[in-house]
Amino acid sequence: MLFVIGLGLGDVTDITVKGLELVRSCNIIYLESYTSILPCGIEEMEKFYGKAIVIADREFIEQRADEMLSQAKHLNVAFLVVGDPFGATTHTDLIMRAKDKEVNVKIVHNSSIMSAVGCCGLQLYHFGETVSIPFWSETWKPDSFYDKIKRNRQNGLHTLCLLDIKVKEPTIESLTKKTLEYLPPKFMSVTDAADQLLSIIRDKVESGEADLAFNENTLFVGLARVGHDSQKIRACSLIKMKECDLGSPLHSLVLPAENLHPIEKEYLQQFSENQL
Amino acid sequence: MVNFTVDEIRAMMDKKKNIRNMSVIAHVDHGKSTLTDSLVSKAGIIAGAKAGETRFTDTRKDEQERCITIKSTAISMYFELEDKDLVFITNPDQRDKEEKGFLINLIDSPGHVDFSSEVTAALRVTDGALVVVDCVSGVCVQTETVLRQAIAERIKPVLFMNKMDRALLELQLEAEDLYQTFQRIVENVNVIIATYSDDDGPMGEVRIDPSKGSVGFGSGLHGWAFTLKQFSEMYAAKFKIDVVKLMNRLWGENFFNPKTKKWSKSKEDDNKRSFVMYILDPIYKVFDVIMNYKKEEIGPLLEKIGVTLKHEDKDQDGKKLLKTVMRTWLPAGEALLQMIAIHLPSPVVAQKYRMEMLYEGPLDDEAAVAVKTCNPDGPLMMYVSKMVPTSDKGRFYAFGRVFSGKVQTGQKCRIMGPNYLPGKREDLYEKSIQRTILMMGRYVEAIEDVPCGNICGLVGVDQFLVKTGTITTFKDAHNMKVMKFSVSPVVRVAVEPKNAADLPKLVEGLKRLAKSDPMVQCIIEESGEHIIAGAGELHLEICLKDLEEDHACIPLKKSDPVVSYRETVSEESNILCLSKSPNKHNRLFMKAVPMPDGLPEDIDKGEVNARDDFKIRARYLSEKYDWDVTEARKIWCFGPDGTGPNVIMDCTKGVQYLNEIKDSVVAGFQWATKEGVLAEENMRGVRFNIHDVTLHADAIHRGGGQIIPTTRRVLYASYITAAPRLMEPVYLCEIQCPEVAVGGIYGVLNRRRGHVFEEAQVAGTPMFVVKAYLPVNESFGFTADLRSNTGGQAFPQCVFDHWQIFPGDPNEPSTKPYTIVQETRKRKGLKEGLPDLAQYYDKM
Repeated sequence: MLFVIGLGLGDVTDITVKGLELVRSCNIIYLESYTSILPCGIEEMEKFYGKAIVIADREFIEQRADEMLSQAKHLNVAFLVVGDPFGATTHTDLIMRAKDKEVNVKIVHNSSIMSAVGCCGLQLYHFGETVSIPFWSETWKPDSFYDKIKRNRQNGLHTLCLLDIKVKEPTIESLTKKTLEYLPPKFMSVTDAADQLLSIIRDKVESGEADLAFNENTLFVGLARVGHDSQKIRACSLIKMKECDLGSPLHSLVLPAENLHPIEKEYLQQFSENQL
Repeated sequence: MVNFTVDEIRAMMDKKKNIRNMSVIAHVDHGKSTLTDSLVSKAGIIAGAKAGETRFTDTRKDEQERCITIKSTAISMYFELEDKDLVFITNPDQRDKEEKGFLINLIDSPGHVDFSSEVTAALRVTDGALVVVDCVSGVCVQTETVLRQAIAERIKPVLFMNKMDRALLELQLEAEDLYQTFQRIVENVNVIIATYSDDDGPMGEVRIDPSKGSVGFGSGLHGWAFTLKQFSEMYAAKFKIDVVKLMNRLWGENFFNPKTKKWSKSKEDDNKRSFVMYILDPIYKVFDVIMNYKKEEIGPLLEKIGVTLKHEDKDQDGKKLLKTVMRTWLPAGEALLQMIAIHLPSPVVAQKYRMEMLYEGPLDDEAAVAVKTCNPDGPLMMYVSKMVPTSDKGRFYAFGRVFSGKVQTGQKCRIMGPNYLPGKREDLYEKSIQRTILMMGRYVEAIEDVPCGNICGLVGVDQFLVKTGTITTFKDAHNMKVMKFSVSPVVRVAVEPKNAADLPKLVEGLKRLAKSDPMVQCIIEESGEHIIAGAGELHLEICLKDLEEDHACIPLKKSDPVVSYRETVSEESNILCLSKSPNKHNRLFMKAVPMPDGLPEDIDKGEVNARDDFKIRARYLSEKYDWDVTEARKIWCFGPDGTGPNVIMDCTKGVQYLNEIKDSVVAGFQWATKEGVLAEENMRGVRFNIHDVTLHADAIHRGGGQIIPTTRRVLYASYITAAPRLMEPVYLCEIQCPEVAVGGIYGVLNRRRGHVFEEAQVAGTPMFVVKAYLPVNESFGFTADLRSNTGGQAFPQCVFDHWQIFPGDPNEPSTKPYTIVQETRKRKGLKEGLPDLAQYYDKM
């Protein structure tokens, strides 16, 4: 049996009671380590569960998951996912592959940034399509997420921007070689994200595009370590966000809709230095 | 020899209209180096202090032993034209009004095909070429190859018919037959010139014409030469006719009747061809009188032709006397240097039409304009064409041509390698030039600065450039175009040190070897093998010797030479291939199709290339190869290395965000075409069509990590399903031999899968020329085999010609291609067996 267990967001104790009991009953425990991270270390988790944990990186899940699935045929295997198991689209494929192999799968849900983002006071009902902002490289600067942000904005919806994390990504040069080399872990901060957003805006202005989705004075909300004791939220203009240090990862960024509900506005006020 | 101080040479360098940069090019053994020696002995410049040392042209020991040139060497010469000759220069850009002296920078280049890359490098820095043809053997394969290259680089040729002494002494040709031989060579050369340029082109008339004085005749070995100008001058006074007019009369269908004193355009009983009568007859007479010891006739004859022998020469006879007389009568240096100064272009003239061929950037930017006008006050633009080893082991002089501005010691420059792109930092160094130097033969002299139009060496640049590059002071400058070699590195050997502890020395030595030769490639395979790839057996032999003795200085173990292959397809993929990204959310659908015949060659030649305007390219492809115009406009790129003979095309309709994965697809395509799936050889002649793409909704899930490996997998799947074939390189092989040996040649070629496509007698000689195609793979030991089967009478010259499909399916274990694939895989440390489609193809 494969148990796909959500760990929640804050620290080790955010796991559900059901989840914890299952983890303790399992023979093998994998921790998915590439779509998100918990602020606490792996040692703390092992101590808390009283079990050893195997780190499952991207290559393992995407290319060698069959190992785990065949173990799950006759053993109880826990697959731990930070946040909610379905928070990352990636895992739907894993679950389907398990079904193909006739491995029974049980899901234990938990909270995810997708719902916890409500902590900034913006109503979940008013969120549009979620986007993620990838780290740009010298040659690869995708900006298609801007179009989605724009659509949300036009429809009067908030946009949750998930920020790139690179836990163990191969370098572009090594991708065309046989032995992969990895980049050091890298997590996008709201500062990085604001910087890229500003540069998209500049390009759009240069190419003569009118009717921009936002400008440097537009209000953004930066969130850091949501669900953790050290959680930080900050509401300010995009240009200020660029200078804003919210501390260690993970960060997320929200672009609120143009017209806010009075309650949303009041709640947001507590995170802002200026009068909204 | 001319004795100059560095300051005097430097002063000449400023007179850019009086500079001639030229190469000497020819087929192997046609006598270039001997001829060059006679020029140098007449006009070679030696800087003050070095005068008296005689070993001026002395170069490598192995060159002397083998009697062939391996590396090209540059020599500067100084020559003054007399007033009467100055009138032949009509273009004001060809001469400074006040100056009679000319600075001639000559580069002697190798004739053996295996070293053609040296010729290419020489051509790049020169504007004119002295094409030397052995008048007995005629125009040979290498003459054609280098001449073609010269014309493509917009190098103006003049011709010299060498080895006339052999025609007279050994073959005893009749005068009229000799004229016919000359006429045929001139025609052959002009046919080649006409094929690759036209008279209306930017260079103006390129054709050579004896009556204009752009063809010389003579014997480099005996040190005599003439053009029609020399003889015309002798007779002009006698006939009271203008020299130029007479020159026209002395060639072609012009006949003179001495009785009636009438010229005629056709041969009649009592008239004689003017060239024979006025030029060949006197020469024949001299030969006849001296070689047949007609002692009493010698004196009057010498008087008649105006030759007075020095006292110490009076006792000579036979061949020795002949040499002395001919040399005094028709000194080779004088005739050739005149021809060079009058007919070859100055940098001012040449750079006007060469600029557009040399510069990659916009043709109206500051650098382009400065190059075009050869402006010493413009920004510096210099092209480094090769690296020359210094006496200091492991260091090199960067040798090249200044096209605009001045390069000087201590100057801060941008040093740009071939991979530099404007605006990027890659392959770019901003450094100071440690020292500028003059390179004369094997000597170097420090010089403060060198202005445009000249050739020089730089110290300290070798650490930043691998083989070639552009040096500039203009921050927006683009690169000068990289050179296109006429030969490919198709033969390779693996090397390893005999003593494993020497490995670091080998690695260092390979780096130096790569620098010292314009074309050799030193590659480290994934298996850890060190590979050296060269043009042919001889080239590799020299490279290995240099590596062992000069660069690495360690004993080496060498593998047998092996050939590079290419991987191609023969049909369209039989299924639409799908591969999914690791996260399974991105799906690529593609097919492979063979390119039409001729297109890969067009891409090799640059007729179709990545830099073309896409609309013009699409029109070309649709007209010549019947491609759909809309599809042809959507070539994403060429590969491998962005220029190779494979393409990937976007045949999708309405896929959103496709442009966001383009870079990743291109990277995967470059990878896959460089290392094909059969044996990790380059692909060739494969067109990949992207039929459909499904992408994850979010950019983060479709980055390089997801797309690059997937692209490679889907390309491999498309390749495997398109009836893969192997291609092998084929030499064009030209063999000269007497008739009796022809049979032996056929036997040897048959055993080696070669086939003869042309066999002809060299007109006027008993020699035969056999032309054949010979797979490179079968060429090892060919020369020795041929000699032993023809009693040492046949000499082959092999030059890479084309790729051909190796018959047989590499998937069938009984075929030769299968064996080759397996051997190659084994050598490269790959898993043996055949690639498994299931590894690359994903089910829906």
